[in-house]
Amino acid sequence: MEARDLQAGARIRQALSGQTARRAWTAASAQRFLAVLLLLVGLFVFFSVTQERFFTSGNIDALLTSASILWVVSIGLTFVMIAGGFDLSLGSMLALTGIALGSFFNDLSLPIGLAILLTLALGTILGGSINGFLIGRIGLSFLVVTLGTLILFQGALNLWSDTKTEQVISPFLDSLAFDDLLGVPIPVWIMAGVLLVALYVQRSTYFGRDMYAVGGSPEAARLSGIKVARTIIAVYAIAGMLAALGGVLQVARIGAASPLVGEALIFDAAAAVLLGGTSFAGGVGGVGGTAIGVLFLATLQNGLSVSGVESFWQQIITGAILILAVLLDKVQREGWSSLRRPGGAP
Amino acid sequence: MNERSAPVLEAEGVRKSYGGVRALRGVDLRLWPGQVHALVGENGSGKSTLLRTIAGQLVPDAGRLLLDGRELRFSDASEAIAAGIATVTQETTLVPDLSVTENIFLGPRKVRARYGIDWRATRVRAREMLARLGLTGIDPGAPVRRLRPDEQQMIEIARAISIDARVLILDEPTSSLSDDEVAGLFEVVGALKRHGVAVAFVSHRIGEVFDIADRVTILRDGEVVGSDRIDRYDRRGMIQLMTGRELEELELDRSRHRAKDPVLRVRDLSVSGWVHDASLEVGRGEIVGLAGLVGAGRSELLQALFGVNGRVSGSIEVAGVKMGHTGPLHAMRRGLAYVPADRKNLGLVLDMTVRENVLMARTAARVRVRRPRRVAEQREVGESIGAFRIVAGSQVAPVAQLSGGNQQKVVLAKWLGTQPKVLLMDEPTRGVDVGAKAEIYRLLNAAKAEGVGILLSSSETPELLLLCDRILVMFRGRIAAALSHDEANEGLIARYAMGHE
Repeated sequence: MEARDLQAGARIRQALSGQTARRAWTAASAQRFLAVLLLLVGLFVFFSVTQERFFTSGNIDALLTSASILWVVSIGLTFVMIAGGFDLSLGSMLALTGIALGSFFNDLSLPIGLAILLTLALGTILGGSINGFLIGRIGLSFLVVTLGTLILFQGALNLWSDTKTEQVISPFLDSLAFDDLLGVPIPVWIMAGVLLVALYVQRSTYFGRDMYAVGGSPEAARLSGIKVARTIIAVYAIAGMLAALGGVLQVARIGAASPLVGEALIFDAAAAVLLGGTSFAGGVGGVGGTAIGVLFLATLQNGLSVSGVESFWQQIITGAILILAVLLDKVQREGWSSLRRPGGAP
Repeated sequence: MNERSAPVLEAEGVRKSYGGVRALRGVDLRLWPGQVHALVGENGSGKSTLLRTIAGQLVPDAGRLLLDGRELRFSDASEAIAAGIATVTQETTLVPDLSVTENIFLGPRKVRARYGIDWRATRVRAREMLARLGLTGIDPGAPVRRLRPDEQQMIEIARAISIDARVLILDEPTSSLSDDEVAGLFEVVGALKRHGVAVAFVSHRIGEVFDIADRVTILRDGEVVGSDRIDRYDRRGMIQLMTGRELEELELDRSRHRAKDPVLRVRDLSVSGWVHDASLEVGRGEIVGLAGLVGAGRSELLQALFGVNGRVSGSIEVAGVKMGHTGPLHAMRRGLAYVPADRKNLGLVLDMTVRENVLMARTAARVRVRRPRRVAEQREVGESIGAFRIVAGSQVAPVAQLSGGNQQKVVLAKWLGTQPKVLLMDEPTRGVDVGAKAEIYRLLNAAKAEGVGILLSSSETPELLLLCDRILVMFRGRIAAALSHDEANEGLIARYAMGHE
């Protein structure tokens, strides 16, 4: 049936330029997060109409900056999930690198720029050489490895910080979190920069294709000559680096290196990535959808708090909408009849 | 036969559309007890849709199904099974770690004791089922994982008849079986016929249809274009009805066989447990076939050559250059290409587009942070699609949407695009219909004419006899015989494949 369909359309469609076809495909992949995008727009309009304090430039800035940490971490997690893995350790990685930044700056008295660079390097190295190496090269289960490093990093950061929150006083960090550039908060510039670079890597490099191939079928990728282990190491390294960037932003926002941050972060990040259409099965999705997912969570949280609704409602609604989103996605792709089939695809 | 008796199952005027595509446009089918009824047609002709309708997996848009003259309406596959319509597909639905007995009586159909299950009685019934199919060699207590693929298929059939099925649908049951295993399967089908079961049989192998079917229905574009006793058709006429055109005769070029310089030279290659001291040569522009039973080591030999699993001994030379055993990328750089038998899991990444799959191997050696040149790629892939006659919605259609034959052409385009010196190919036409088969043969022949040495493993002997300049027959991991094109025939190959001298 499909072959016939394709045969009929093939001649017409082949006459069209590849450009048109690419647009069609982008639209098709965008469908995966279309429902969430519509919900986001709806939510935005709803809060704008019902709460006069919602759609003000001050509040929108606050909404976006508060989402910056989740944003960068979720983008890193998206790469890992496209490549068919998951990284539970990102939350404690964020806390650990925050402590590291405080220590580099306060204890070693390094200049703040160097301290930040070292922090990012630490995240990259920990992500790549522990998570990435054990999963990609040795072939251990990503759930077990990153559960292990989640606990391990937690212990390490408690030892390092002596479980104490330490002030980090740096004008540069302050301006990173709170200043504007050309009327736009600096965290928003950082978010935009990270997203654009990630989109470029995902869409326009061979490495980007490798992530999808490895997530889609690691064995087929290997037989095609793709360096699967290296690809996996790279995605965990990137996720580690972005978690470290999240750590830097976290320190900048609260003006202190705290061992208590990031604990529930991985759940929000996973929710944002899944809402954005990237699946646990790997090989599909992308960072564009993740950005929508993060904005949705941030809008919900901000709008509810502006409305004076208790924050627990936000959790209830987020959880319900996450489940609803995967339900809609399944119906959209496989039809209503697929719902009666048990089993649960990833 | 007993056509004067009433048909057990009748489908009348079945219609089914998916979106705007009419998969079935009013199809009639009658199955009589004790008869094997073959359904043939190209991919997309509507065979699967028709079978899934009968099996209750699809609800037709129009038309009716009659079992013993009574109308049936299924809303679920389990209702069809309860009515006595069982399906065995090429994909196994067995639970590998459970025993043969547990698999046959999977679900709530075990013999009950006062408390729990009476395993002894259940096992006795399992043994009865196996005996009815002439499968006395299978231990009912053995886990299914340990059985050969053809034995697993038999267990599926045993399960089907254990529910007293009156209609058995066999959807491409032979696609992963070798010739002797097919013979075993056909004996079982013969036993079912004697028990009065109506069998609907789908296969892409036309030869088999003539071997086993009593009647045949030919589908094209969702319509019946012929339905009669099998002896009313010949092979050529049947293919013509299926494809709607004369099949172009394949002009194979045999001029260069055994060219002087071998592009692939293998000495004493061993893979522990699978291949023992295999030595062979493939010349420039030569097609060498690997025949043998499933499990004779054909696939393992090809995998070893491409470095899929490491841990091999022996020497491999490609165009005079020695090769290490360090993996697929190394093998590719030396000029090897490998088309695995498992197209969907190993040959392609199904989630990705036609373009990405076509380009995957040939760009694997490029620097990863580099930006692919879109325009050049688009042109390159466009040329491949044209040259390989790939029918796809567009370059960026997901490859999963293509038919089996077109998917296989994508895999060929992917590998021939790496400009290999040697093409290793496992089961070149598994699950591919007649029309696409001829195209794949044409493509292999074109590669041969360009000087690519091809090492081809196949369970279909006619295919090897058609394509190959030489045929190597494997038996238990050893190359038991080397036959030239002129001396090879089915009987001789079968003898060596079974281990006779």
